[in-house]
Amino acid sequence: MTATQIDSNKMPTKGAIVSAEEGINKTIVDIFKKSLEKKCFDAILIPVRVPETEAYAWVLLKDQSLLDEANPLPPIISVQGAKALRSLTKRGKMTQNIAAILRPCEIRAAVELSKLKQIHLDNISLISIDCPGAMPLSDYLADPEKSKKIYKNVLEKWGENNSVRPVCHICNRFSLPSLLPRKSEETSPVEQDEANLPSIDLHIGLLGGNQEKIFLIPVNPKGRKILEELELKSDDSLDIWQTKVSEVQDKKEKIRKEFNLELKEKIEGQEKLTAMFNECINCHNCMRVCPICYCQQCFFDSGALTLSPETYLSRSEKKGALRFPLDTMLFHLGRMSHMVLSCVSCGVCEDACPMSIPVAQIFSLVADQTQKSFDYAPGINKEEPLPLQDFLEDEFHEVETPKEVN
Amino acid sequence: MSNVLKIKKGVEQGANELLKFLLESEKVKGIFTLRKMNENGAVSYSLITHPKELQNAVPLFPLMPVNAGKILSGFTLKKAINEPIAAVLRSCELRAFIELIKRTQGSLENFLLISSTCGGVYPLKSLTDGTYKEQVSQYWESAKNAEISSDIRPTCAACEYFIPQQADMTIAIVGKNDLQQECSIFLNTKKGEEFTIGAPGNIVSEDIDTKETAKLREKRQEQKKKLFDELEKNGSGIKALVKTFAACLSCHGCSKACPICYCTLCDFDSKTHEYLPSSHEIELEQKGGIRLPPGTIFFHIGRMIHMVVSCVNCGMCSDVCPVNIPVSTIFSKVGDSLQKLFDYLPGKDIEEPVPFGTYKEEEFTEIGE
Amino acid sequence: MNEKIGVYVCECGPNISERIDIDRVLEEISSAEGVKVAKKFGLLCSNDGKNYLADEIKKEELTHLVVAACSPREHEQTFMNVCLEAGLNPYLFQLINIREQCAWMISDKEEATRMAIKYIHAGISRVTLHKPLLKKELDSIPDVLIIGGGISGIEAALCLAGKDRKVYLVEKTELLGGMVKKFSELLPYQGSNLAVIEEKIEQVQNNENVEILTSSEVEDVRGFLGNFEAVIKSKSNGSGTKEIKIGAIIVATGFKLFDPKNTPQFGYGKIENVLDALEFEEMSASGKILLKNGNPPKSVALIHCVGRNEKGYCSKVCCLYSIKFARHLQDKLPGIDVSEFYSDLCLPDKADQDYFEEAKKKGIHFIRADDFELKEKDGKINVEYKAAGGKKDSIAVDMTILAPAMVPSEDTSKLAEILNLPLDETGFFKEVHEMLDPISTPIEGVYVAGCALGPKNIPESIIQSQAASGKILSSLIPGKKIEPEVKVSEIREEFCTGCQTCLSVCFYGAISFDEYKGISVVNEAICRGCGSCVGSCPSGAIRSKHFTYPQLYREVLQALR
Repeated sequence: MTATQIDSNKMPTKGAIVSAEEGINKTIVDIFKKSLEKKCFDAILIPVRVPETEAYAWVLLKDQSLLDEANPLPPIISVQGAKALRSLTKRGKMTQNIAAILRPCEIRAAVELSKLKQIHLDNISLISIDCPGAMPLSDYLADPEKSKKIYKNVLEKWGENNSVRPVCHICNRFSLPSLLPRKSEETSPVEQDEANLPSIDLHIGLLGGNQEKIFLIPVNPKGRKILEELELKSDDSLDIWQTKVSEVQDKKEKIRKEFNLELKEKIEGQEKLTAMFNECINCHNCMRVCPICYCQQCFFDSGALTLSPETYLSRSEKKGALRFPLDTMLFHLGRMSHMVLSCVSCGVCEDACPMSIPVAQIFSLVADQTQKSFDYAPGINKEEPLPLQDFLEDEFHEVETPKEVN
Repeated sequence: MSNVLKIKKGVEQGANELLKFLLESEKVKGIFTLRKMNENGAVSYSLITHPKELQNAVPLFPLMPVNAGKILSGFTLKKAINEPIAAVLRSCELRAFIELIKRTQGSLENFLLISSTCGGVYPLKSLTDGTYKEQVSQYWESAKNAEISSDIRPTCAACEYFIPQQADMTIAIVGKNDLQQECSIFLNTKKGEEFTIGAPGNIVSEDIDTKETAKLREKRQEQKKKLFDELEKNGSGIKALVKTFAACLSCHGCSKACPICYCTLCDFDSKTHEYLPSSHEIELEQKGGIRLPPGTIFFHIGRMIHMVVSCVNCGMCSDVCPVNIPVSTIFSKVGDSLQKLFDYLPGKDIEEPVPFGTYKEEEFTEIGE
Repeated sequence: MNEKIGVYVCECGPNISERIDIDRVLEEISSAEGVKVAKKFGLLCSNDGKNYLADEIKKEELTHLVVAACSPREHEQTFMNVCLEAGLNPYLFQLINIREQCAWMISDKEEATRMAIKYIHAGISRVTLHKPLLKKELDSIPDVLIIGGGISGIEAALCLAGKDRKVYLVEKTELLGGMVKKFSELLPYQGSNLAVIEEKIEQVQNNENVEILTSSEVEDVRGFLGNFEAVIKSKSNGSGTKEIKIGAIIVATGFKLFDPKNTPQFGYGKIENVLDALEFEEMSASGKILLKNGNPPKSVALIHCVGRNEKGYCSKVCCLYSIKFARHLQDKLPGIDVSEFYSDLCLPDKADQDYFEEAKKKGIHFIRADDFELKEKDGKINVEYKAAGGKKDSIAVDMTILAPAMVPSEDTSKLAEILNLPLDETGFFKEVHEMLDPISTPIEGVYVAGCALGPKNIPESIIQSQAASGKILSSLIPGKKIEPEVKVSEIREEFCTGCQTCLSVCFYGAISFDEYKGISVVNEAICRGCGSCVGSCPSGAIRSKHFTYPQLYREVLQALR
């Protein structure tokens, strides 16, 4: 089921409009402070700025004062949020109620990880937010002040410039409620709200608010309950938000399509693709920061690929020279085949590459195509099984008959 | 005083001549060295077995994509090579290889080790920001004059062990003002001498330690002190550590790039460091807030304890760090102090055991008092 | 290395020696690393051959054995036994197939010889990396669980209990007997009297080796041949559950009838006096064959093959029982007009042809037709049809009896999931091989008998029950130890991160999840060594004991040299 098409009939239609006079960040932080007070949650997981630095770290907090430096949408993605969740709940469920405010790609990665039994989502309220993207990590580190200024602009203009990371610039999944699973045409909009299989309970809408207000959008009864406990009415119309989201979505779809067409040209064929990875030093940073790469020990780090010296020598003799470390393309293509069906295009791989190889862009392109052929959208529907763990007899008939070779 | 093979070619060409000689005469079955991958400066270590491919060899290129000691260890992990191979690597890479061999992670057998007095390497990103061409030309000037090249990696600018130990041959670069005309290859061992019988060039006697190398060493020691002192700008103690590692992503890239970190499954990547939710919840209660993933600094200190006694200050850790934390400087500082305590220089002598694996009754008696 | 590999090439009578230059093969391979001796022999699987190999192993003090001969499916076990008896661990052995994969496939002798040499080299490379795996032994439980108390289940219970096995007979309904109990009579040459069935039911009830659990269902089954555990839920007795331990299971859950409401053209459920076969049996058994208005019918149409097109198979028994009904109607209601509508006549058994001919002689009309449409007309049933030849026609009758297809019984798919058994396209349980292994399932120790496997008559059901019982009696001997598969998968704990991908692809249910440790665990007794899990694990945490990366890599590398 592809959930990338957006149909405003399926989007939640009512929510709470909250004035953001004191700034969006402060407004959101205040809401969560209140939620702790009112005991909607026992603890909040949110990015917090590390004092005296420009770095952000995930903090699970009970102490409200820690929220003072919190920012639900920092200019950069440091640790992928799903990884933070995994370190918390891999070995079991939380007994306390947690609200986790994550970017859409981080939520989707978390849902994928829960399908791989790496995250237990019980007692975790996932709260998503409209995301305009993130700044390239190296740019931010080089000049945080400059990046912060640009990012402020990005939040206001939303997608009108491409100073964000390339995969963010082409991201068409920036507002999760527009991607909630479609149901049949027969059910009425109200029922659809209930029937949506939400990985999120609540969504913070920013689009259409013009920096003056934010939209708190409940996606299911639990979300509505949270708003109730926060003493917020959830019957305001979300028309402006819906309209703006559709508008930006259309734009992004176009941008993505064009970008991918161009990229495809650049990497198609063994020679071009290998050339892309010429500078790769096999540090495997991309794999290590990737939320979907969950293996305790990556196959490509294991001894499976270590051979005897004679083998290396004879391989070298075949071509005259043998490059080390070996198997650069094997690593990338192998990692791709293992994880690309769950790739959420979060781009942390590209941020982590010391050689500035456009890993995220390449993997996202392949992800789009492979996910489409399985009609699979990662991280949208908690119940949808992973394609590689699911056997359907009735699929891929097109590969059953060999094509005629002229 | 050692025997020195003088080849009447510029140092880069001379090095290539040496390699060509070794391969064509079949004294070695293969050459392990840096090779050009494209015209944009990308280089990669390669095992070259056909003389034709030597055309692309750039053994002295001032870039280190990966620590070659780590590669050679992987090469000979299962067993020693059975044919002679010449390997060209830097001082720190060679020292790392020696340290790994002390831990049975490789074998020296059948290697002809060729090194050079090292002028340092440039940051990896000079390949991607296009500055490498300029830098490389600058490199030879600085090396000739025994000066620190301005854009060289901070780690290299602070490295005083640029004269390799345990190499069979050393190509002299630092302080050699006849770099463009002549290539001087110091033959440090009997093996080095045997393998160069019949090589194109003449043998003279020279000392590898010169006034120039001493000059550079002094400059580098100054830089080292400066670099280490800079670390103190964040203060000291836990607060300083938190600040220094504020941006750390716990990607463990530093560990994976480090030649000394050889564990197939690092303890910090294993289940030992995956905690029950209840542990997190208890800590949350106690502290009001916990950073996730946990153990950011714990990992670094743990890794330090495990490997810093053999840290050769190669700087790969800083190179691969996505958030520019000066890991190499931090680890070298601690490594330096620790190694001095044990009077141990990693990679100097293959017979010298790693201090952590040895017991001496008469040491650190001051602690007992 | 200090291996002493013995390589023996079988001439296989003329099969291999004619198509491969064995002498040249021996020449080439005897210089391979580790090979101590390379010889040929006429027929290695013969007694002489086996003795020869055993002698060679001892004489040459071989550390590894390589035999180049036929397919492992033929004789891998044979030669492994030779190794075992000669004191060599049977897993330090590799059988290279140069018959099916070389001699029988490649016509050019040069090419065949070249390929044989390559394969043998590859095998020699691989065998040195084999580990001397050890066989394990487990105690087996001789008791048997039979699911389904119909005639198949009852027969199996009697066969097994008669040999002193404890049998648990689980039946969903309150009574034993299944479908057969609804019949009014059997076919005459089957001994029309149902008393014989009643006798069997009584025997089984009186047999102290059989524990009958009626109004009960199987809820869960775990384990493997010789060592199953089943949870039985009782619908009476306050719905308690009972756990039993058995060594084998027979599934005999029978069938139900295709619902003719799915083929509305027959008017079932809408038009009065349209019955299906079981309803007619019940009516016959009651002794009174009457229409809804209380009168006996004067004309009856029997329509075969109801649902046959929809289901896509013939149910084998309906033609005969329809003829049985027709003759029964004639006996009970003399003068009645009976028409049988069929699309094909299925008369497979010895006495069937005669039975049919007699029926025709007795004036029963047999009409080949299809395209039915039944309508109510003037108080009668108007049966419209298209006869063979294309002509459309119709007859008016008082009563119509439909012969619907036999379909799998109610809980077949649920049971299939519990037992991890495959179903075929028709929804019945799938046997391992229709011809060569018709009552076994891929799960060792679980058999299916009777209509649960597909439509059949009573004699065939009895045969299958006896066959299943026989298989169990010979493989599950009291006191016998079970030797599970040795070439299994193993999971390295430290590297398993508990994603359960291997679990989801394991067909045999051999992998379970340890909640506390958060890792998957292979049950080595159930694992069949198929390797699907190995392929599915992205990190390589799960490995095969006999198909390791180094082994496969070495083999392929050598083959490509």
